[in-house]
Amino acid sequence: MLWLYLHFPHLLLDHLQRSRKERSAMVVITESGQHVQQACARARELGIEPGLRLKTALSLASELATVQADPERERLILTQQARWLYRHAAPITLCPPDGLLVEAGNLQRLYGSVGALWDRIEQLLADHQLTASLAVGQTPLAARLCARAGRGCRDHGDDKALLAARLKALPLDHAGFEPRTLTRLLRLGLTTLGDVFALPPKELARRLAPETLVYVQKIQGNRPDPQTAWQPPHHFEQQADFIQDIERAEGLLFPLQRLLGALEDDLRWRQEDTDRLLLLLHHHQPPATPVIIGAAGPEHRAEAFLNLIRLRFEQQALTSPVTALTLQVTRFLPRQTATTEDLLGDEPDLQEAWHTLISRLQMKLGSSALHRLAPQADHRPERAWTTQGLGPLRGSGSTATVPHHPARPLWLMPHPQPLQETPRDWLAGPERISAGWWDGQRVHRDYYIAQLASGALAWVFRDVREGWFIHGWFG
Amino acid sequence: MVEINLLSEYCIFKQYFEKRMSDLLQNLIHDARVWQGHQHHKARHHNEPTGFAALDASPGPSGWPRGALSECLLNDHGIGELQLVLPLIRRLSQAGKTVFWVNPPHTPYAPALAREEIALDQVVIIHTNNADDLLWTLENCLRSPVTGLVMAWPDKLSSRGIRRLQLAAEAGSNLCILFRSAHHAQQSSPAALRLTLTPAAPHKLEVSTLKRRGSWPEPPGILDMPGRTGISTHRDSTIPAHVIQGPWPGPTTDPQQTRE
Repeated sequence: MLWLYLHFPHLLLDHLQRSRKERSAMVVITESGQHVQQACARARELGIEPGLRLKTALSLASELATVQADPERERLILTQQARWLYRHAAPITLCPPDGLLVEAGNLQRLYGSVGALWDRIEQLLADHQLTASLAVGQTPLAARLCARAGRGCRDHGDDKALLAARLKALPLDHAGFEPRTLTRLLRLGLTTLGDVFALPPKELARRLAPETLVYVQKIQGNRPDPQTAWQPPHHFEQQADFIQDIERAEGLLFPLQRLLGALEDDLRWRQEDTDRLLLLLHHHQPPATPVIIGAAGPEHRAEAFLNLIRLRFEQQALTSPVTALTLQVTRFLPRQTATTEDLLGDEPDLQEAWHTLISRLQMKLGSSALHRLAPQADHRPERAWTTQGLGPLRGSGSTATVPHHPARPLWLMPHPQPLQETPRDWLAGPERISAGWWDGQRVHRDYYIAQLASGALAWVFRDVREGWFIHGWFG
Repeated sequence: MVEINLLSEYCIFKQYFEKRMSDLLQNLIHDARVWQGHQHHKARHHNEPTGFAALDASPGPSGWPRGALSECLLNDHGIGELQLVLPLIRRLSQAGKTVFWVNPPHTPYAPALAREEIALDQVVIIHTNNADDLLWTLENCLRSPVTGLVMAWPDKLSSRGIRRLQLAAEAGSNLCILFRSAHHAQQSSPAALRLTLTPAAPHKLEVSTLKRRGSWPEPPGILDMPGRTGISTHRDSTIPAHVIQGPWPGPTTDPQQTRE
């Protein structure tokens, strides 16, 4: 078995940096707020190292941005990294707070060699703007220790002798022993891991502790060290955190671009589409603002979603500053093939054009501003029609053939208006409509078609109380 | 020496002036404030027949211009203006093209549309809140390939807005019909076709062409719309048995009184 370990020395910083346009020095400070826990590359250039007092760090760099350490958030960010890595390498194991373990033995055959896998992962890390140190080991712990110590080497490949020699040469303070055990080993005069391996196991267990022996044997591979493989959940969730509050909605578009790009990759990988995004805008005070972005049809392109979101933000201003943004997708639709007529046709895909147009209109005007019409089986004129939401584009030929509609005006007034004048001419009538006694909305009217003085043809009725009303126009 | 100075100053001024002018022209063209002749020839689309023999039979260009704006100017709704576009809506909707009704003054009545054999699946009603949204909506609809016809009842439209619509209709090669109040007839408009509609006898509509691009003004004509109310039009000659004739007791007096 061969294992590859990815150690992220400042994952939180990388994560925050990706959502910013400008580059400046950043550090993560401990929860007590006294010391620097992680420092980015730029901060290191200025002489800021992990473990430094915050006051000293601030005197070294006045423009230093500081972030509180948050183990829960780091765990979430680590899961995000596992998602993209899963597409290229499996099985993988999460090693919180800052590592990912990949079983490289099988992948070696896929990629050809460990070196090729290594190159691929390094390239992916660069694409995701992440810093990580990699190391290969024959046991999970060996890989982890070498990666944390920064002693991984691409060219060692799967050469067992080289890997073993490197592990043996590892200084004891990088070996991950507990402080008490470490002191005792150092007092014995041992300096490298190889010295510990050389001790007889029984002696090691008797002199130190049985747990130490278990640990050492796990590093060596003499004792099983089972790993639980991580499975990606069937939903999409990514978060962008901001160091400075974002007060204008346009400021959210830049970090959204990256999130939507990740979503597009994810959807492409699944060969699925979605029509509903949930954006959670986190503020300083807990209730996050949910923003639901609905597309009229299945969609996966980041650009299309970004256009919809831009329209939505034009309509809806931010109520309070945003500190973080979460993108969630839980509804996935199977991807459909484009229904173009022929292979090389230049005809635009109408279904797609329809979805784009309707999504844009709904996002700008609100989904209640658009509707379709449909007749309804009721004798009362105001109930003989209904509105329908907009579904997918329907093909031609679906003409509702209702052959025996009586003569009706093309315009209907939503509320009948009193007839204020004596019509010039009477054309037809009366047509008695008496219905609705069964549901309390009784209608008892005589309808006539009349031409008014203006020349318009009106549909007028007289109700039971002898009042005359206009109910429609023959447009 | 003086001449050289003058010459160089002239050159600098000329460069500056040319730059200013070209910027100005670019802005004008970009904002669609200038109508350009070459665009006209490029964007010559065929016309859609109206479905009325009297209108389609004219020797020059006829029908609804595709890729351009049409205006119907009228004072009151309900004079037969929808009858005029009904054959077009019927044909486009049955061909699977979407017909948008933007800000209609009343509710388009679904049973009547179904009776006229219009594919209701292709009819989309849109309501907008303000003039900016209206213009935005119309432009988006006109540029889409799913659209067959966009009908709009705008409250007011700036002439610049109309030009933008004209460009959108050209870009999407779509039909756009605006129903506007008759007092706009005095104002100029970039629309390719402008019709004034006036009510005539019950089953007739008087249509006069105010403007048609590439053609001479035509004399006003009266269109027959026999199917408008679904009743027989030869009312005076042979009265069908099911039509009950007056005199009517109610509205001969003042309707206000009868309601009490």
